Amino acid sequence: MNAIRGALSKAICNRLVGLILCIALWIAAPYLPEATRQMISFAIINILLANSINVLTGMAGQISLGQAAFMGIAAYASVLLVKSEILPSWLSIICATLLAAVAGGLLSFPAGRVREFYLAMMTLAFGMIFIELVRDLEPITGGVMGITGIPSSQLHSLRVFGLLVTTTDYLRLLVVVGGVALFALDHFTRSRFGRAYFAVRESELAARSIGIQSDAIKRQAYLISAFLAGLAGALYGHLVSYIGPESFELQRSIEILAMSVIGGLGSLAGQVLGAVALTWLPLQLEIFADFKFIIYGALLVGIFVVMPRGLAGLLFLPPRVVDQRLLAASRAVVADSTPAIRQRAAGELVLRWRNLQRDFAGLRAVSDFSFDLYTGKVAALVGPNGSGKSTTVNVLAGLYPPSAGEILLKGKSIAGLPSDAIARRGMVRTFQDPRLIGHFTILENTLLGAHLKYRYGLLEAVTGLGRTSKDERIALSRAESILAFVGLTDVRDRVLETLPYGYRRLVEVARALMVEPDVILLDEPAAGLSDLEITRLASVIHTLRARGIAVLIIDHHMDFLAGIADSVIVLDSGVEIYRGDMEGMRRDERVAECYLGKLPGDA
Amino acid sequence: MKFVFTLIVAGLSVGSIYALIAITLNLSFWTTRTVNFGQGAVLMLCAMSTAFMSRSGVAIWLAAGLGIAAAAVASIAAERISVRPALRAAGSMGWVVSTLGFGICLQGVVAKYLGGQAIAFPDVVLSSTTFVELFGLRIGAQYLLIICFSLLTIVVLDLTLRHTIWGRVVMAVAQDRELAEVFGIPVTRVVTISFALSGVVAGVAGILTAQLIGTVDAAFGFSLLISGFVAGIVGGFGNDWGALVGGLLVGVIEQLVAGFVSTSAGHAVSLSLLMAILALRPQGLLGRPEVLKV
Repeated sequence: MNAIRGALSKAICNRLVGLILCIALWIAAPYLPEATRQMISFAIINILLANSINVLTGMAGQISLGQAAFMGIAAYASVLLVKSEILPSWLSIICATLLAAVAGGLLSFPAGRVREFYLAMMTLAFGMIFIELVRDLEPITGGVMGITGIPSSQLHSLRVFGLLVTTTDYLRLLVVVGGVALFALDHFTRSRFGRAYFAVRESELAARSIGIQSDAIKRQAYLISAFLAGLAGALYGHLVSYIGPESFELQRSIEILAMSVIGGLGSLAGQVLGAVALTWLPLQLEIFADFKFIIYGALLVGIFVVMPRGLAGLLFLPPRVVDQRLLAASRAVVADSTPAIRQRAAGELVLRWRNLQRDFAGLRAVSDFSFDLYTGKVAALVGPNGSGKSTTVNVLAGLYPPSAGEILLKGKSIAGLPSDAIARRGMVRTFQDPRLIGHFTILENTLLGAHLKYRYGLLEAVTGLGRTSKDERIALSRAESILAFVGLTDVRDRVLETLPYGYRRLVEVARALMVEPDVILLDEPAAGLSDLEITRLASVIHTLRARGIAVLIIDHHMDFLAGIADSVIVLDSGVEIYRGDMEGMRRDERVAECYLGKLPGDA
Repeated sequence: MKFVFTLIVAGLSVGSIYALIAITLNLSFWTTRTVNFGQGAVLMLCAMSTAFMSRSGVAIWLAAGLGIAAAAVASIAAERISVRPALRAAGSMGWVVSTLGFGICLQGVVAKYLGGQAIAFPDVVLSSTTFVELFGLRIGAQYLLIICFSLLTIVVLDLTLRHTIWGRVVMAVAQDRELAEVFGIPVTRVVTISFALSGVVAGVAGILTAQLIGTVDAAFGFSLLISGFVAGIVGGFGNDWGALVGGLLVGVIEQLVAGFVSTSAGHAVSLSLLMAILALRPQGLLGRPEVLKV
């Protein structure tokens, strides 16, 4: 089974296959029956629509139930511009597409503030507002009657540069647009952007902790998604001769969602399959057309249980998010001799916090806590559960602002900054429960930490040109040397969720090291590790210390800490009760008391 | 002035139905932390089957009772089929899509077998031509009856939740599902009961709305569900009294805009309100913000 999947995956990953398919359609276009031409045209439009959902929902994790509105905005805009002869058809299609993208950009501001089912409700409302407006603005949109007699290929009334466009020409146009879009999306998925989208989908907190600006990523996802849906809408408007509000209602949004989900969220090939299947089936099978919404509904109910990765999961291996040719090329070169971790001067003050305080609705989790952390030192933060250790790390890393007090990183205040800004300034944290991407390989997970190091932009990413391959190669070789450093080279190409839990901690440390931090905050890194893994972790931390990185570590495992910590601070109910070395802590009465309670007979 | 007053009464009336719908969503939200995006189809099923049975000669009270029972069954089915399996996956994407799918599927089935056309809804208590005098104005008696009935339902529900053992158990599951399980509360049964109750109240809301509009069709549930969302979000999701305030507010605003501009504009305004509240104050007017845990 996996062999078949492997062969199929190889075929779809080969861009030559796609090119041949496009050329074949181009040549065959005039010889196809009219109905087939039309069906293929609709299929290509649906491929664009399914991908618009895939970028937003499948990759960035932002559910959308209002996708048809983007399509409608562009369709109405383009049709109206052409009908009123304001712009020539080719320019109006472009303008209408950009208008939809702008609408997506605008929606991203309110939408970026909510998540999960609240987002579903918001996008639903967005889609319905569009329809209500179309119905209400009758003088412009024709209200419920819609617009008829659109200059279109079906009516043989669409002109581009004065030439009449036949349905064959239009199909060819769609083949080119669809081919280019898929080519660009394929590059995009394997770029730093694609990976960052998946990181945001998995956990915005974790994405921000390694410097990915999740708000900007989400905004971009809305723009791209609305652009694709708008492109589909504008092209749809001139394919058919009539548009009305019912063409862009909720049912359409759900149809698009169904295509994308059934094809397999996160997989480009899946989107093509889903779109083609749900365009073809209703036309071929009468029963399907008859029971269309019953079937769509049932598919949506069952899909996540039966086939969580859709048709793509059934037919192909999970798509990789690193360009495999670049990876092979980077491995063919002899690894450079620069050490994985750069050497820094030790003994310099790097992180200082003064009178730190954090309150939660009446509970003071951390109170009047001050500390100085120097490069090349390891400080341990211990204390019973609820003593404020994690709160301290969360405040330092910018998860929430301190209620009072100041935090200086390399002399500059970082209190109240978001965690991605703090990561950019050189301080990175790991989480108690590792927040990694299960369907990524270990290498791909590690590579996420390189987000801040890339220089190439969106246009370079979608074409694969410019600085893209150089940047990617540098990041790949750094990721591999860091993986070698933490001892994960053997498993670097394994998908994370197929490996035992213990690997996750080290992968998270590796990912954090990719950011090249000066300070690293480790939240219970040894929890759940075997003795062997703890030894390895300790040796990693030793090397970090020797390289001049400052480490703040929370843990309960005293033997582990004793081997690595230069100093230890004990917190109890948010207040510091001990500071000094490990030996002193073991003898300290207040520490013993807070862990064990007062011994009988004590005064 | 007379016109405005009539609009406000109509607004309070539809608003109280919106509140009821929001409360049906709350009931299942408490026990499962999910929102049934298929709830529109549940209340549509009740109204459609009631109208259908009554048309074929079944006594209206019996028809309504059977319709409500059908809604309860549909709601339980929604939990079994689309919520429970989807909850095993992380995140909300699974159950949003699957409950939505359930609603579409149910709507498709009703449209297929009970007909896609609108059918006239029979008078349950009062006909739409009964009027009462209030402050010297003629007000549709139906409006007042619906307001009273909705308020009564909300009060009874609130008392049940506060003062009966089942109500407390529901609240315990809402607080902490795992802890409730540890204490031996039959969580699965509580969830089923909460969905059944949700379906019953949704059925009542469906009948009340159908009564108000006069006709029902297979598509009629969805826009009501959206109005229920708006009511719930404005008041703060999961908060019954918030839902009441939100529902009444949205109902009145919607009717006023509809009266002075157009029905579509009324819908557009209430939908915009939903987006605005979500963006500016996601916890709603009466809710408290949730604290992030890491």
